[in-house]
Amino acid sequence: MEQYLPVLTLGVLAILFVLLSIVTSRLLAPERRTLPKFAPYECGITDQTAIPERFPVKFYLVAMLFIMFDIEIIFLYPWAVANNELGLFGLIAMAIFVGIFFLSFAYELAMGGLNWGPGKRVSNPLVSPERTTTSTIRKVGLEGRTPSVASSSETEAA
Amino acid sequence: MVDTIVFLVAAVICLTGALGVILARNPVHSALMLVMTLFGIAVQFVSQEAHFLAAVQVIVYAGAIVVLFLFVIMLLGVDTAQNLEIGALPAQKWAALCFGVGSLALTGYIILAVDNPVTGRPGMGGAIDETANVRLLARSLFSNYVYAFELTSLLLVIAVIGAVVLARKPVKQLPEEAGR
Amino acid sequence: MTGDPLFHDGVDLVDIGIMGLKVVVAFGFLLVATMFMVWFERKLISDMQNRIGPNVAGPWGLLQTFADGVKFFFKEDLRPENADPLVFRLAPYISAVTAFLSFAIVPVGGVFKDVPGTTGTVNIFGRETFLQVADPPIGILLLLAMSSIAVYGIMLAGWSSGSKYPLIGSVRASAQAISYEAALGMSVVAVVILAGTLSTHDIVAHQAGGINTWFLVTSGVIPFIVFLIAATAELNRPPFDLVEAEQELVGGFHTEYSSIRFALFFLAEFMNVITMSAIMVTLFFGGPAGPIFFGLTWFWPTIWFMSKVMVFLFIFVWFRATLPRLRYDQLMDLGWKVLIPLSLFWLMFISLKELRASNDWNWIATYAAAAGGLLLGGTLLITALRAGDRAYQKDSEDA
Repeated sequence: MEQYLPVLTLGVLAILFVLLSIVTSRLLAPERRTLPKFAPYECGITDQTAIPERFPVKFYLVAMLFIMFDIEIIFLYPWAVANNELGLFGLIAMAIFVGIFFLSFAYELAMGGLNWGPGKRVSNPLVSPERTTTSTIRKVGLEGRTPSVASSSETEAA
Repeated sequence: MVDTIVFLVAAVICLTGALGVILARNPVHSALMLVMTLFGIAVQFVSQEAHFLAAVQVIVYAGAIVVLFLFVIMLLGVDTAQNLEIGALPAQKWAALCFGVGSLALTGYIILAVDNPVTGRPGMGGAIDETANVRLLARSLFSNYVYAFELTSLLLVIAVIGAVVLARKPVKQLPEEAGR
Repeated sequence: MTGDPLFHDGVDLVDIGIMGLKVVVAFGFLLVATMFMVWFERKLISDMQNRIGPNVAGPWGLLQTFADGVKFFFKEDLRPENADPLVFRLAPYISAVTAFLSFAIVPVGGVFKDVPGTTGTVNIFGRETFLQVADPPIGILLLLAMSSIAVYGIMLAGWSSGSKYPLIGSVRASAQAISYEAALGMSVVAVVILAGTLSTHDIVAHQAGGINTWFLVTSGVIPFIVFLIAATAELNRPPFDLVEAEQELVGGFHTEYSSIRFALFFLAEFMNVITMSAIMVTLFFGGPAGPIFFGLTWFWPTIWFMSKVMVFLFIFVWFRATLPRLRYDQLMDLGWKVLIPLSLFWLMFISLKELRASNDWNWIATYAAAAGGLLLGGTLLITALRAGDRAYQKDSEDA
């Protein structure tokens, strides 16, 4: 137990450091309170939308899966420490464990539980196929500008 | 002497946390108090030379499970105070009281009546070498308890599948869609 | 007996004095190193971007961080009106304290080889001790424990601010942190298999026989790569700095923090960079191992340790200067679909390799088994990923 004594001491020192910094800052810092300073940050304008109350359920799935992996990792550590001692039996036991676990991981993957990207909207494209980068972006600068200069001089001539 | 002080401090941390969990108005505060309790239990494990269990306590319970709790609290947006009268089962209060008193009485009886309440074996604080600790754990995990160990993986499978099924959007059966 | 020999025969006042000295030195070193790191990053990144960078405060602008730090003390400490006062105050403590504690297990010096009779101990005031703050039996698990507690600092800071950007930032950040923590934990398991111990001191002692014995080589580089990527993500460093994606989230979880409380988050972030670099050196690059030339024998290992850490500090800055930020789905895909299956397979493979070496199994049979496992797992994974893409596609079309 005494091996944790330095950790505890360092922790206490760190807490004191944080506490002292905050107290010092309180003594040194000015207090000029105005109402706008206490408003939640909104890029300099007043609040336009409410704070989001709900988040996508995907975050819950990630946290759930993380617990599973954490438990698995916790089993992996004793096995890893005693790997040589446990030998083939330990390896096979762990392989079965990891294998079964991997199945559930694969199930979550197969259900799209870990897909985050924007789904491709095939049925309802937002942009028409004619609108591509070349048709919408005109290059600015010297190179690649010659045809547009030529076209503008044509219109001027006309 | 030192052991007693550590035990007392950790016990105070545990109990304060536990009381905080039920007394705090805000669910996030409750979750934080739960972390405090778990941390106190980790200290108790350390004082019993169960170092690995202490690490597990912090990594799995405080680091993963309470994070899930906080996620759920944030996901649902229940972090503002809610009216507890609405939606509670009417019998719940009384059932909780009965179970609480019952388990307290049972714990008291066990502590008073049995010598070594939990395992029936004498405690082994400081009895084993500190590094052998994890090896011993591995040895018994992969010999006596190997079936339990494998079954744990099945338990994890059930948990993952349950979570995925719960989180999936229900298949839409709107009338006009069904007609098409 | 294991652990720091300082405490082996009871704890007396001299022991406590030495322990206190080590703690204070480590504490001071961390603070100075953090200040240096902030300067180093600014200077290096300005070199990489053809700028001059800080050059006014002190020689080469060395005192710039110090000046900034002093300035923070004189700034008004604001707390938004919707904030949860208690948790808002608590969050900087969690971040800073966990950052300090993670460093405790890093061995920063000590001769492990070449000089007979030494096993990484030094003699201070007649007592043998390790040159590391603590060597608890759980060793490297302390790092995992601290990084899982550090998630709370971020999460609570964002939630308690009562403001939308910090909240979104913190939910994102904690999901990112827990995703990569799994990969981080698994890559460490590979090292633990090779070392057969959790103690960082013993892990370093296993790598004392030259570069061939470094776990970077013996574990086959992959755990190191996984660890480096996962550590970068854990640290919220670019290219994984979605937490502070300025364009969408302003400052992320610490948007509402000002004055010294903000400085504490900043300090914790940079301190974690140093700690993670030190942990990487410990796990994969032999810690303080290196040739000893002349003069003070205990001096060289510490120099080697610091030089190796410097290389990683440079790499982290280099990442920032070079790599564009990942999109959130790319981040999650990399963590869950690449790093975790890869490290899971690799640690089974390392275990098999070790057992083959110690039991003298047949080469072909062993590697055929490994290849079979890879094939089976890989097929399952790819099938699952394809099915997942289809299911997700269908869901987003329905929506």
